Amino acid sequence: MTALSRRDLLKAAGAAGALNLAWPLSAGLSPAQAREAAEALGADYDPAPFTLGVASGDPQSDSVLLWTRLAPDPLAAQQPLSEIVEVGWVVALDPQLRQVVARGTTTASATLGHSVHVPVSGLRPATRYWYVFTALGKQSRIGRTRTAPVGSVASVRFAAANCQAFHDGFYAAHRGIARENVDFVVHLGDYVYEHGKVGGVPADHVRDHEGSAAFTVADYRRRHALYKGDRSLRDAHAAHPWFLTWDDHEVVNDYSGTGGDAPFVRRRAAAYQAWYENMPHRDAGHAVLPDPEIHRVRRWGDLLELTVLDLRSYRSAQNLKDGSILGTAQKSWLKSTVDRAPEAWHVWANSIMLSQLRGRPGGSYMFTDQWDGFLAERKEILNHIHTSGMKDFVVITGDWHSAFVDDIRPDFDDASSPVIGTEFTAHSVTSSAYSAAWNQTNGPIMGAANPHLKYFEGNRYGYDVYEVTPTRFSTHMRVIADRRDPVSPVTTLTTFHVDRGRPGSYEDPATKNSPAQWRRD
Amino acid sequence: MNLIVNGDAESGPGGSADPVAAVTGWEIREGGPALVAYGLGGGYPTASDPGPATRGSRFFAGGHSARTALVQAVALPATGSTGHAAVDAGGVRYTLSGWLGGYAGQEDGVRLSVEFRDAAGTPVALSVLGPVTAGERNSRTGLFERTVTATVPRGARTARVLLVFSRAGGTSNDGYADALSLTLTATPNTSRGRK
Repeated sequence: MTALSRRDLLKAAGAAGALNLAWPLSAGLSPAQAREAAEALGADYDPAPFTLGVASGDPQSDSVLLWTRLAPDPLAAQQPLSEIVEVGWVVALDPQLRQVVARGTTTASATLGHSVHVPVSGLRPATRYWYVFTALGKQSRIGRTRTAPVGSVASVRFAAANCQAFHDGFYAAHRGIARENVDFVVHLGDYVYEHGKVGGVPADHVRDHEGSAAFTVADYRRRHALYKGDRSLRDAHAAHPWFLTWDDHEVVNDYSGTGGDAPFVRRRAAAYQAWYENMPHRDAGHAVLPDPEIHRVRRWGDLLELTVLDLRSYRSAQNLKDGSILGTAQKSWLKSTVDRAPEAWHVWANSIMLSQLRGRPGGSYMFTDQWDGFLAERKEILNHIHTSGMKDFVVITGDWHSAFVDDIRPDFDDASSPVIGTEFTAHSVTSSAYSAAWNQTNGPIMGAANPHLKYFEGNRYGYDVYEVTPTRFSTHMRVIADRRDPVSPVTTLTTFHVDRGRPGSYEDPATKNSPAQWRRD
Repeated sequence: MNLIVNGDAESGPGGSADPVAAVTGWEIREGGPALVAYGLGGGYPTASDPGPATRGSRFFAGGHSARTALVQAVALPATGSTGHAAVDAGGVRYTLSGWLGGYAGQEDGVRLSVEFRDAAGTPVALSVLGPVTAGERNSRTGLFERTVTATVPRGARTARVLLVFSRAGGTSNDGYADALSLTLTATPNTSRGRK
């Protein structure tokens, strides 16, 4: 179905008053009918039982994690499957799967949503592989992945995506990511949103959630299945290995993982379990489900050290004098990671903004759910980086639904505090930003209020592609033309560079005249 | 046979509401658990509050930490009617059960879970019980039985039992647990799917 005809169908359904009746899991529809309705309105799924596609994650030099989940009826609470289903897998050096290098079988249990996680080891470094699953006499689509290199590396390209509210747009950004020539993808969180329907389809939203807010494992499974009903997301998973962190909406808005009341503890466990079931996450070994450990450090040869942070599981409440966004154990681990940092680019996958952000000069912080709500710990960590001598520090961030470029200083209020790194906050895949009018008004105000803020652009959606060499780190802001169009074309809005050994970023002269609502230089 | 060691909180140090440094059979991952005597009083569950019929002298509680976590590693039996061969034939089911509770209308609670892993250490099954909310307890202090059963996936070799006490507020972590049990049962193979 073309984008135009899908939009026409949405409009026609809305005009006929049929959309609320037809959209998935509305009252009176069976899961099968709901799926049919969803597909009629643009969602689609791979052939059963591999409806949700395939994925790979956590690439290392000799290993990668392969994922799939059997869901013949993706939006149903109960899958029409045996309690245990045997699943085969094959890894090959070619897309025709002729040069098989590894194969095996595993089991998919109903207790884990019939998900499959296979850590394949014994692979070669810096090598592209293809893989496939088989089950119930069917074969999945063929996925493509890649292992990390070892030793000297001349370049790495990777992409980062974040904030993909299903109702706010189609995943043209993921379509773009699937087509990028990148080594891996980082997802920075808000992969799903937990809330119920938003309404307003098609006038304000291109589509909607399938039901009410998620609380149980069945709810969160259904929500993940809905999101994977966008083919472009499945294509991006199948095209590249992913590294993963999460933000709040995988559970609930602005939550603190250390909240202890029983209903929340139950909800969080349900969300974490469903996240694990639906993601190519490599189990950390010593962690115990349903509490996966997701922070980790990975190397891409001698060129890049990627540190994946978990800013939700262990955080305290905001705005406490001794509050923590990392938690005691992760903070200790992070500081020791900094102490052991090799000569390389040091990239942190950071779900929520690290840099200080005041709403107006001398005013209060805009959002203390981000690191601004954990001032002492931020200062401690950034001072530790500075005193340790770790250089070539780049933070990639999501959450804000707009693009920012910031200089990172241990003390953001002290202009003499040294620049020790750069934070690139990426556009969202679809999740709505502020209005163009708000951005136009507040871009310059935020610029004036935050001397370390170099760039702000909030009128677009997309993802970032990073191109890294031993001498330069470049961030290309890829944007889509229209998030209401599933096949919206991708262009590069602008590019920022960081030179090796020289803290601070600069915009590429070729794109410096591109639209933005704040630019310091 | 119960595969959980000291699932009844009867072994090792304890007896008061103060946290202990070690718990027989369990690894303390976080916080500090207490093994509280039913006769302690002070609002803690007593022998006459809701709880297991045979409850012994003590139960687990979360001590004074906001979050207390205990982990127990379980090696599945290699031989016998529920041994590796039976598991690999799809003919073994597990049952996880425990009495979980809390204090009056407070939302402190405890969550019990078991995760099965294959020989490579990859999770292949998971069951989670609780926490029992204050609403489910009708705001009554006590412990209430929760149980789940499922098939042990082919290839499973180990299990990990996780017990997490969480505090909603105050200083005492009033998640309570007792009579924790993980058992295996040989069953006719009816659940194995086609490849």
